[in-house]
Amino acid sequence: MPTVNDDDIPLLKGYRPLDGAADEMVDGTGALRPVWQHFMKEIGRLGPDEIAARARRADQYLNDAGVYYRFYDQAGSRERDWPLAHLPLLIGETEWRIIADGLCQRADLLEQIVADIYGPNRLVEQRLLPPELIAANPEYLRPVAGHIPLGGNFLHFCAFELGRGPDGRWWVLSDRTQAPSGIGFALENRVATTKAFSDIYNRLHVHRLAGFHRRFRDALTRLAGSQDLTAILTPGPFNETYYEQAYIARYLGISLLEGEDLIVTDGQVKVRTVSGLQPVNVLWRRLDAGFADPLELDQDSQIGTPGLVEAVRNRSVHVVNALGSGVLEMRALLAFLPRIARALSGQPLKLPSIATWWCGQDAERDHVLAHFDKMMIGPALSARMPFEDPDNTVLGGRLAAPDKAAWHHKLKSDGPGFVGQESVRLSTAPVFTNGRLEPRPVTLRVFLARTPDGWAVMHGGFARIGQTLDASAIAMQRGGRAADVWIVSDSPVEQETLLETGEAAFVRRLPGTLPSQAAENLTWLGRYTERLEGTTRTLRAWHVRLAEREDPDAPLLALVRDHLAALEVDIADPVPGRLADYIDRAVITAGNVRSRFSPDGWLALRDLSKTIHQLSATVEAGDDATRAMTVVLRKLAGFSGLVHENMYRFTGWRFLEIGRRLERAIHMTRTLALFTQEDMPVGAWDMLLEIADSTMTHRRQYESQLNRLTLIDLLALDPNNPRSVMFQLDTLRTEIAALPVPANTDRHQRLQRHVLKLHTDLQILEPGDVTGAFLATLQDGLEALYDSLAQTYY
Amino acid sequence: MLYDIRLKLSYRYQGLVAGSRHQLRVAPRSIDGIQRVFSLSIDLDPWPAEQSAFTDFFGNAVTAFANRDPHDRLNVTMAARVEVTRPEPSLDVSADLAGLAADVAASHSLTPHSPHHFLHQGSYTPQTEEMTAYARECAEGGASVLALADRLCRRIRDEFHYDGTATTVTTTAAEAFAGKSGVCQDFSHVMIAALRGLGVPAGYVSGCLRTEPPEGEDRLEGADAMHAWVRVWCGRESGWQEFDPTNGIPASSDHITIGYGRDYGDVTPILGMLKTAGDQASRQAVDVIPVG
Repeated sequence: MPTVNDDDIPLLKGYRPLDGAADEMVDGTGALRPVWQHFMKEIGRLGPDEIAARARRADQYLNDAGVYYRFYDQAGSRERDWPLAHLPLLIGETEWRIIADGLCQRADLLEQIVADIYGPNRLVEQRLLPPELIAANPEYLRPVAGHIPLGGNFLHFCAFELGRGPDGRWWVLSDRTQAPSGIGFALENRVATTKAFSDIYNRLHVHRLAGFHRRFRDALTRLAGSQDLTAILTPGPFNETYYEQAYIARYLGISLLEGEDLIVTDGQVKVRTVSGLQPVNVLWRRLDAGFADPLELDQDSQIGTPGLVEAVRNRSVHVVNALGSGVLEMRALLAFLPRIARALSGQPLKLPSIATWWCGQDAERDHVLAHFDKMMIGPALSARMPFEDPDNTVLGGRLAAPDKAAWHHKLKSDGPGFVGQESVRLSTAPVFTNGRLEPRPVTLRVFLARTPDGWAVMHGGFARIGQTLDASAIAMQRGGRAADVWIVSDSPVEQETLLETGEAAFVRRLPGTLPSQAAENLTWLGRYTERLEGTTRTLRAWHVRLAEREDPDAPLLALVRDHLAALEVDIADPVPGRLADYIDRAVITAGNVRSRFSPDGWLALRDLSKTIHQLSATVEAGDDATRAMTVVLRKLAGFSGLVHENMYRFTGWRFLEIGRRLERAIHMTRTLALFTQEDMPVGAWDMLLEIADSTMTHRRQYESQLNRLTLIDLLALDPNNPRSVMFQLDTLRTEIAALPVPANTDRHQRLQRHVLKLHTDLQILEPGDVTGAFLATLQDGLEALYDSLAQTYY
Repeated sequence: MLYDIRLKLSYRYQGLVAGSRHQLRVAPRSIDGIQRVFSLSIDLDPWPAEQSAFTDFFGNAVTAFANRDPHDRLNVTMAARVEVTRPEPSLDVSADLAGLAADVAASHSLTPHSPHHFLHQGSYTPQTEEMTAYARECAEGGASVLALADRLCRRIRDEFHYDGTATTVTTTAAEAFAGKSGVCQDFSHVMIAALRGLGVPAGYVSGCLRTEPPEGEDRLEGADAMHAWVRVWCGRESGWQEFDPTNGIPASSDHITIGYGRDYGDVTPILGMLKTAGDQASRQAVDVIPVG
């Protein structure tokens, strides 16, 4: 294939598409395709350095926004930065219409097929679909067979993975009907890409994405009857695409729930919230169906809701997509779609699928064996795309002779277990790398949502670009990258965002009720961050004294060392493992409630976590540790400030605040008890003031010398000192009183009485009455307050 | 034969259970030509907050219930009067393995009794070459499927050791096969996995078995246990035939059927999800008393 010879655009020099593959940007003669001309002229004008600078801007955005996906390898799972290929994939509007039209037909066809599989089974009876493919399929869910979903439809949201063949036509590589991911990432790709190329984006007529999201949300809301009755059901924070689930929940203004948040009573799905059980009518599920109900589906599932299947059979909840829809994802189905399409609608498929042969049929298996070298061979029931399944799918032509023989034998002895798929060369698209453009294989994911007016197609998509020219490395788990998709029109396009629709009725005005689990997580987030602060302050005070050449075995330092040891904080370690522990737990609890949490707060917390882990590796005792603790405290203050300044004062914030105040009260009570014992070593009271961050206040408040009574007055009884126990109890009383009244009003009253008693007990005391015994009782009472809170709300 | 059947499941929980949801598959079902259920009752203690009944994919009667108040026990009592009139084994007109494969291929159906549901491995019934070879040895001489199943059934009775301590409720066929020991559930899983390895559709039957007290002794109350055996699809002509590998016999009128499934997982007598931290102790008692 000739190289590109457009002299106007030096950037294109040396761009060499592969022989035998189509290229998205240039045609067979090496000329720019029309839809790319304007874009490349603009890009070319920028020059390599400017393009690189703009790419960094996009990455900076992704980094700031905290976009990540979870990556799995032998070492376990880790979060990875979002790998954006900065140049978008451009598709002309005319060509897009063909794709959209073909996919709408396909979605309708899949709906008919799944309805038949779980209904009358005519396709099997008419020999259009082999029964063993259904019977052997783990996604064929017998507990819902024979049950038509509420509303009548199985499919509400589908994705399709497409590739362009050497002949220039788009082919469907895979149908995603289980719980397709990507629409949130598509949005983030768009935002990031336009950060880099906003000028070009605005000069081209690029279709906007938001209209699709709005239409889908409206469709869900219509199914549910109200936005408050709609939720996303997530597998939880350890899922690969949890980031996206939290993001899209925030973006659409609907709740993000885990199986644990739900309970089924009398055949109806409800959410456990701090205000009692609340109904839910639509669950947009992002977890695979098997996990949804341990009672009737995968019994080992820890993330499901017992009784959900019963609710589905009762037709009391819309599950999007219906449980069981995953059966459509099996590769072998692609072999039967053309005949089924003709039989059901009299029409051929408008968009072909990748050519597929199921080896459970003799003629088809013989065909696969005869063309073995041109085949990708893999499991018939696999739902994975052939291009992203390196462990189970082989390229016939790449096998060594003995392996080839083994596969021949496998296909002969267990044909029904396998399919052969034509090993097409995917088209390539340009990526910007090392200052120049290079072609890389690309696949395109397109999203469809059912609306009252039929299928809505997202005008855009999610492109995946291979790391090398080898199409088998296209998966992001293997180094592939994601790219934005621009559908370019010749004329101006409609400008819309999620909110600028004028349909105020669909914009959420009040946050929904808080799920109990989220409340628990927020309380613990408050507790862990506060526990981190209290411990860090104590450690800093200790290292300050060590740095002043005090003997670590001197009475005061030994006392505090033993005190910390009792809390499992080992002072021998300059940055004790406990600190990392606290921040890790804080990050986990925050991760569990990410959709309720500002991105800035999340970033601050992650930054703090990174800092503590880095410090633990390098810091030495004494001065160095003092400085390290100061850094930690400063970053903690940053986090607390963000929470305090930016978080909407709704129920979730109150639980966070309660957790924080409770932990601070416990810390102060415990510390006070330690330092106000009889016969304290010299300097103990100064150290206490330092830990309590109240040295200056003390100096201002009291004319007298520092003594036990002034300490107790300032740190236990003073309602105006934000570090005092009294201050914490004041706040706890106010915040607890402001919590919603749960279904169990007895418990709620008990909780209120509990905090009132603690508050009053302290209020009536004079400094002289605050004994060690009293402080010990108070600490127990505070710990019990948490249990009371948990019993009332979680 | 007419029976009064009583089945009791009792659980004692250490510490209170805050809430629970269960599904029961303990009620005998009426089956054309084999079994008729005249009366049936299921009692639950504590009285559940909600209770419902449905028929599952394989036609089994399921009782679903949930408790929402804290409780420390669960007692299930099922009582039924059932008549079993299982026909005597008839002439063997079943196909050989090749004929069976053709019959399976000619079955274009996914109804609950379609052979297609009973051919694939499951978590209890992984296929291994050893088990398949074990079954193949029973097929020597081009045996009919019925004869093959009968031989395999007796072979398992002869070569496996009945040992209630050797296996648990989660033991797989492959594990039981390796130890050549277990209980009715294990023997049934072994027979199922071995037959499926040869392409013979095989399923799991849960139920009760009438047992005779030793000569001259009275029946002890609750001495019987739940039982399990195997159903084998012997081709279009012969259909489903049942074998009891624990006793090495075809199922008879002593076998009272509760549920059909692919393996134990489909017919687990009681499945529950509890919110509890503690342990639990369970007891099971079954009485099968011939009437008249």
